[in-house]
Amino acid sequence: MSQPTMSVPINSPKRKAPGPLARAGAVVAQYPTLVLVGVLVILVLLTGAIEPNYLSINGARSTLLQAAPLGILAGAQTILMLAGGIDLSVTMIATASAYVAANQSPHGAVIAILFGLVIGLIVGSINGVGVTVFRVNPLIMTLAMAAVILGLFTSWTQTFLQGSTQVAPFIRLLGGGSFLGNRIPYSVVVWAIVAIILIWLLRRSGWGRLLYAIGDNEIAVRLAGVQVWQVRITAYMVAGVLGSIGGILLAGRTGSVDLQLAGAFLLPSIAAVVIGGTSTFGGVGGYTGTILGALILSVLNSMLTFLNAGQAVQQIVYGVIVLALAWGYAGFIRRG
Amino acid sequence: MTSAVLHGNNVANRTPRWRRGLARNSWVLGVWLLLGVLLFWYSTLIPVFGKFQIVSISKNSLPLIYLAIGQAIIVIAGGIDLSMGALLLLTNVIAARFMLGQPIGIVLLIAVALILGIGLLNGLTGYIVSISGVPDIVVTLATSYIWSGLALRILPSPGGGTAPGFRWLFTGAESGIGGTYVMPILMMVIPALAVFIFSRRSRIGLSMYAIGSSSVAARLLGLDVRRAKIVSYAIGGAMAALAGLATVALTGTGDPRFSVGANATLNSVAAIVLGGVALTGGAGSVLGVVATAVILIMLNPILTAMGINANSAQVIQGLLIAVVMMIGGLVTLLRERAS
Repeated sequence: MSQPTMSVPINSPKRKAPGPLARAGAVVAQYPTLVLVGVLVILVLLTGAIEPNYLSINGARSTLLQAAPLGILAGAQTILMLAGGIDLSVTMIATASAYVAANQSPHGAVIAILFGLVIGLIVGSINGVGVTVFRVNPLIMTLAMAAVILGLFTSWTQTFLQGSTQVAPFIRLLGGGSFLGNRIPYSVVVWAIVAIILIWLLRRSGWGRLLYAIGDNEIAVRLAGVQVWQVRITAYMVAGVLGSIGGILLAGRTGSVDLQLAGAFLLPSIAAVVIGGTSTFGGVGGYTGTILGALILSVLNSMLTFLNAGQAVQQIVYGVIVLALAWGYAGFIRRG
Repeated sequence: MTSAVLHGNNVANRTPRWRRGLARNSWVLGVWLLLGVLLFWYSTLIPVFGKFQIVSISKNSLPLIYLAIGQAIIVIAGGIDLSMGALLLLTNVIAARFMLGQPIGIVLLIAVALILGIGLLNGLTGYIVSISGVPDIVVTLATSYIWSGLALRILPSPGGGTAPGFRWLFTGAESGIGGTYVMPILMMVIPALAVFIFSRRSRIGLSMYAIGSSSVAARLLGLDVRRAKIVSYAIGGAMAALAGLATVALTGTGDPRFSVGANATLNSVAAIVLGGVALTGGAGSVLGVVATAVILIMLNPILTAMGINANSAQVIQGLLIAVVMMIGGLVTLLRERAS
């Protein structure tokens, strides 16, 4: 290059007295969840303005019923993204587990659920081995895995899984039922338990801290003497099990199982994590943000349903909001 | 790949130039060789292998080839575009809706306008990526919703059509069946070579490799990182538009289904990774990607010819992708151990 093109340095330091916006940015950067809570409240109020009946226990219940499986699937993505990975097969794991649970339902709900979870564990382990031992890019590994599961289950539904489309009553209660006078869905209780365990694991356990460390700088972690592959494989296993839980809840909510059961949740599960402030490059974020992200997306979904907009408009608005949230969030963080 | 480039200087005096070139492009040569072997195998599998099969393979792989070339350029420049399939949908439905019943002149005008327009649109996405600081994967995930929503709005149910002359342009036959293989192969070779030469010979093409390799280093060198990024996305968009046009020429209709776009995006990512483009950016070649796109499309007829049903074919395709990538991973691992 004879004449180098001059480009303006991006991080030009500006030493000015912080304006109100910058100060707000600083607060927000310190407590990023505040923005998400704010967005959630605004969205709930907006939805309430469109459909006054929404601001009721019933409205909250229907949103939570949507949010619980999404939040759990997004939990799987959160763990993996913190360590710099991703799982595009999580919704296929969910569908597969739901099928197996439906197949085993005649033997009782407990066995059905256990078998469902085992599927997630197996698929997650294979993903983990491919990503860590064989160093396949996680995007490709899980993508290929999704294709394999889809193919296997498409042919199995015509053979030995034929007719396994109904899940046990207990699973249906777990996924779609509510208690305390039809107020609190059981699936939310499951989600809450999962959330407490995940948050504890990420914040308090050594394994959780290692996930953050690997996402931040894998080489440094390895040089510090950590068996990185063990941490990664277990992360994929946990993600697989979370996928199974999400799938079983979904099967319980809809009451029946088909191959398109969870497919629509793949992009939202990633979007929820991203809206929640977890970096796709790893090392930054947490499950609290993801919970809020899942809630925001679910409220948004309800709002678009109430607006009676067609599927086309729903998709457009969905995309615009995800983009706006991610953009605004990144801007706030940088200003802070 | 990188190690070969790094050591290039010390070894330059001893190793002949063609050998270095061979080592540097071994992956690309490997996938072309694989394509050749697969073609040969396929020709022995079916009773008659002739013009019809060549036409069918080459025209059916056109959309994926275009998408993969576009994706490759974006990934080489350090990004990734999950909206490629949605852009294909958008172009497909706009073309099908507005080309129906029009004379060929107008149809070609619409096609050119779509290539430019979608290219600009995706350039805008690249601009948003570069100014917002939001990761590529997130921005393009969001835009993929927007574009496929728009597609659904423009054409709520499958339909529309195009001019017979336009179908001939991509498929070699005005009815889209049979015909000559010259047209699909030309339509395959011209864009691929154009993008390849652009990426290897032009200043901005080379700066894409530089920013994909290390955007900080490229910026410190005085390269315009933002411009290279935007151009890479614009080329990606134009290629996605070409893919959409090829789809309308192939099928003769527009199909706004979301799953079509999502699958196309995932296939484009699979094709580039198999074709030797590193998802971390800065390495790989457009030419390898063309071969893997054809391979991915060819797997289906091959497996059908072997008497394997469609579901097992999908399993095998997934396994193949995983296994090829595992072998690639093992090779790099062994190389690292050796050095």
